[in-house]
Amino acid sequence: MAIQIVMDRTGDSRHHFNSHDAQELAKAEQRFYELTKVGFTAAVRTGPGQVCQIRSFDPNAEETVFFPRLVGG
Amino acid sequence: MFGFRPLPPGVRSRKRATRALFISHGSEGTPEGRSLALLRKWLSPSQREQFGRKSYFEVVGSDSGRRYRIHAGASVNVCEIDEKGCLQEGLCFMPIGALPIGDVMLAQKIALETCEREVRTVARRFTPNGFHFRQIRPLG
Repeated sequence: MAIQIVMDRTGDSRHHFNSHDAQELAKAEQRFYELTKVGFTAAVRTGPGQVCQIRSFDPNAEETVFFPRLVGG
Repeated sequence: MFGFRPLPPGVRSRKRATRALFISHGSEGTPEGRSLALLRKWLSPSQREQFGRKSYFEVVGSDSGRRYRIHAGASVNVCEIDEKGCLQEGLCFMPIGALPIGDVMLAQKIALETCEREVRTVARRFTPNGFHFRQIRPLG
């Protein structure tokens, strides 16, 4: 099972999906683009502690984290 | 006179261990606890170890190779450091929305390690001092 983790005020919302199920994959892809369209950044882990931003949906990503747009404090 | 007696040997360390256990596991159900658990999962082993010991961890900027220290906190908690580890310019930036501390710190780590230039464009600068980065309680 792959997972999309969306940061929010509760800590995060987690959306699990089966990447071998076309319907669930399509839903995950839709969620990806809905979030990035409104300014969320998507990132995946490429190794222990190593991260990479992704700008298009990766169906093979095991875990994707989304965080809202950054602003100066 | 007041009835204070020294604790028997071993009791103090047990109390300390119990407190540490409560902090690390007892808060997993709270937004802050969940966010810190996610942060720990995404840190490298050396960053995790540093965070546990010092309540901050260091990252390397993706564009300049500069080093930054991310302290426990949700704002005014990032500082550039020099090769000797001395504090340089402070950067204040965070994701919008009232996110718990661990989420803010993870977003700051990812941003600095993947799009440092954009971070430096949006961040507000400040001059760091000991007050900004005082350790309140262990979070790592």
